[in-house]
Amino acid sequence: MSTQNQNGYMLLFRGTELRKSLSPEEMQRVSEKWMAWFRRLTEQGKAVAGNPLEREGKIVSGKDRIVSDGPFAESKEAIGGYFLLDVATMDEALAIARECPGLPYGIRVEVRPVAGECPIAAEVRTEAQFAQI
Amino acid sequence: MSTQNQNGYLLLYRSNEWYEALSHEELQKVISQNKAWIERLTAQGKAKPGHALGRKGATVSGKNGRLVSDGPFAESKEAIGGYLLLDVETIEEAIAIAQNSPSLAYGTSIEVRPVAEECPLDVRARELAREEQLANA
Repeated sequence: MSTQNQNGYMLLFRGTELRKSLSPEEMQRVSEKWMAWFRRLTEQGKAVAGNPLEREGKIVSGKDRIVSDGPFAESKEAIGGYFLLDVATMDEALAIARECPGLPYGIRVEVRPVAGECPIAAEVRTEAQFAQI
Repeated sequence: MSTQNQNGYLLLYRSNEWYEALSHEELQKVISQNKAWIERLTAQGKAKPGHALGRKGATVSGKNGRLVSDGPFAESKEAIGGYLLLDVETIEEAIAIAQNSPSLAYGTSIEVRPVAEECPLDVRARELAREEQLANA
């Protein structure tokens, strides 16, 4: 995996349903730490966007474009929010992910490079180049 | 669920690497369809920037983020392949847009999520504080 990326990185927060395990005071504290963390990253120019997501949503799938409920908030895989980071290396993105105030409570942070263009389109172009050789 | 939301909706694309199985011609067709679809939504002011994500990444977990693992795994059907932020006001409109996505025909599923005004933890902490007050009253 290339560790250099001009397009930045996305952090996806999973397993953010802490309602059952934390008291209101603890929740308030985690939330305050989280906002201070985001504010600092924004001031440093490292975070360019970020949002929490409402727990409820819908899933659209299949050729018939069926709409179903989900994801389920209780799922440890459910995504609760995201940050978009303007940093150039995976190492820097990982270092930021490690600062997430939710980690001690079981939240997991997925770190993904943002693609400059659709990877599918890039692949088609590479194939076309090979075909010309 | 409230169907009205000022903060927009996030579409999360979940799929495996379905495009590996398509011919060059088929791929080209899906790419142009998808591009035209996004350009139309952008011109209508309904789509804000969206991006594909590189298929490889890492997951950080554990206290102090000590555990770093590979993944998500590109082969997984649950892996998130990209996102699109929609500037529309109702979930019905967001769903209708998701239903027009050209990649659905290839097994991609699209998660439609309202963007929250504030952290759900704060909202819940307030609810609990109010419940405690009522119980003590």
